[in-house]
Amino acid sequence: MQLQDKYRIAILSAYALGLHGFESLLPSPIPWLRLGLANIITITTLFLYGTGAAVTVTLIRVVLGSLFAGTFPGPAFILSLGGGLASALVMGSIFSVAPRLFSAIGLSIIGALFHNLVQLVIAYFLFIQKIEAVLLITPLMVLLGTLTGTANGAVSGLLIKNLKISGQKVQNVD
Amino acid sequence: MKINFILHNPEFGPGSLRYIFSVLHLSACLLLLVSLSACSSQKDRVFSKTRVLMDTAITITVVAASQEGAEKAIDSAFREIEKIGKLSDFYSSGSEISLINKKAGISGVKVSPDVLQLVEKAVYVSEKTGGAYDMTIGSVSGLYDFHKKVLPGKDAVRKGLRLVNYRDISIDRSVSSVFLKKEGMLIDPGGITKGYAADKALECLKKEGIASGIISVAGDIRAFGSKPDGRPWNIGIRNPRAESREDDVMATIELMDAAISTSGDYERFFFSDNVRYHHILDPRTGRPASRCISVSIIADEAAYTDAFSTGIFIMGPEQGMKVLEEMKFNGVIVDNRGRIHMTPGIGGRIEFKNSP
Amino acid sequence: MNLRILLNTTTPADKVLFSLLIIVSLSGYLFADKLLPENPSVRIEVNGKPVYILRVTENRTVPVKGPHGYTYVEIKDQRVRISGSPCANKLCVQQGWISSGALVCLPNRVVVTIGKQTEENMPVDAITG
Repeated sequence: MQLQDKYRIAILSAYALGLHGFESLLPSPIPWLRLGLANIITITTLFLYGTGAAVTVTLIRVVLGSLFAGTFPGPAFILSLGGGLASALVMGSIFSVAPRLFSAIGLSIIGALFHNLVQLVIAYFLFIQKIEAVLLITPLMVLLGTLTGTANGAVSGLLIKNLKISGQKVQNVD
Repeated sequence: MKINFILHNPEFGPGSLRYIFSVLHLSACLLLLVSLSACSSQKDRVFSKTRVLMDTAITITVVAASQEGAEKAIDSAFREIEKIGKLSDFYSSGSEISLINKKAGISGVKVSPDVLQLVEKAVYVSEKTGGAYDMTIGSVSGLYDFHKKVLPGKDAVRKGLRLVNYRDISIDRSVSSVFLKKEGMLIDPGGITKGYAADKALECLKKEGIASGIISVAGDIRAFGSKPDGRPWNIGIRNPRAESREDDVMATIELMDAAISTSGDYERFFFSDNVRYHHILDPRTGRPASRCISVSIIADEAAYTDAFSTGIFIMGPEQGMKVLEEMKFNGVIVDNRGRIHMTPGIGGRIEFKNSP
Repeated sequence: MNLRILLNTTTPADKVLFSLLIIVSLSGYLFADKLLPENPSVRIEVNGKPVYILRVTENRTVPVKGPHGYTYVEIKDQRVRISGSPCANKLCVQQGWISSGALVCLPNRVVVTIGKQTEENMPVDAITG
């Protein structure tokens, strides 16, 4: 079972990496505007295997993703790590304290929100240092994050449902 | 399906030692990265203001944390420049320089510390350049008019030249007075005031707590400190034979705590019978000096770079390089054939963009 | 079908959170626009005193009165130039269009600066000569 869990983490991380990479191939009107597709996997992991697994998958995705993209210890990596960790941790703690308060969609929105806010704070301290620019962009980021977060959450919801059913089937066969 | 399986996984869960260790390690690396970037990027910004004073455009650039602080410092520096401009104005009848000129051959004139220093520095540069730079050229330069393209006659120039000799400036430090020994002598401080004003403006900025910036008084530049990112200031040397805005800059040079001035035959000039008549007059002939087309000098004080660039322009490249060596100054000389002479000290700091 | 099931699983907290964020971000977006007109501006000074601070996005020509008469400053397509001047040498007019930095008419004491006060990517910080 433990070995199997490790495989699951590895497979989920691979999915997250795949989505992350796929997303960076999509044309984007603004360079830093991201759909956050990898968050689908983070939420799925959270619901199925808990906070620790979700954080682990996020860490693996961020580190390997930036290694593949060649941005490893650079600014893009710091932003990605800060945003990813913050959203996974916040989603995780809310989910462990009150698992029934939010559905996957609500958690996904929260995840997107914290992902964006933490990235803005990091960007302000490390790179931009113009509070006007950050303030100007924050509402837009929050708005877009809420919309993409809803969509990602919906996909995660479907995924969780299907995986739970198939998981049970597999167990039954076992 | 076990939820939270990883919590109970002794090998690799948040509870295991290895996990805690790796998380700590990662955090430490991250902290190091963040602190490194935080140190290199201070909150300082660059502020800049341009004003017209002393009949020229003056730009003061400072690095400061706030706009208020920057403007306060810049304004006080502008006031200092304005003051020096008024004291040393060759054309205004009320300036101390005009008073000295009016009393030439009659009596000494008590002057302010600024004008005393200005004249002392001018005489020092005259001594070091063998009289090539000479502020008593006023009796000849007043005969030219570069706006109306007026060329003086030979006799008038010869007459004026008799009054040109920096040794006839007598300075009495004890009573702070300047006396011109011959009647009709005129000192024209135009070749040193701008640099001197830049030096004094720098003192003002430092008094206001500014640690780095640039003062540019029509091409006489005094730079101090560095840019917010720690790099030196980049100063462009004007291309003496620029044809468009694209080839405006001949070379760029990195400067931190130093002054740079350039004298060129392209600043004020007109053509008459295909001869370029420009404003840098040779005190020995009374005619525009023709050995160089551009001379840039780097030294500690802008008053010196201003006056030495004029003097060396007149002396020409061979003698000029000797003076630079003796004074331990750096410089770039473009001679009248377009060849570039350079002191070894600026080898790594200069980058040529367009050849003149 | 699946979508409907999904909608049924959403909790009241989900809906409150969603509406709250949409409202806050939309109003913040409208506010931020009003709060921060941070466009590079064109600043025109005569004798060191500011007489105009104009938006670079607004195409127009303004007359600026100096000691010798009117200097005309033209703003077009986020650039600025001195289009007419009473001075003798017309050096200011010859400087042409600029999108950052300063235009100066010495005789008429007019200084036109454009751009933010912090210019980080300038090729040179000052020019000698």
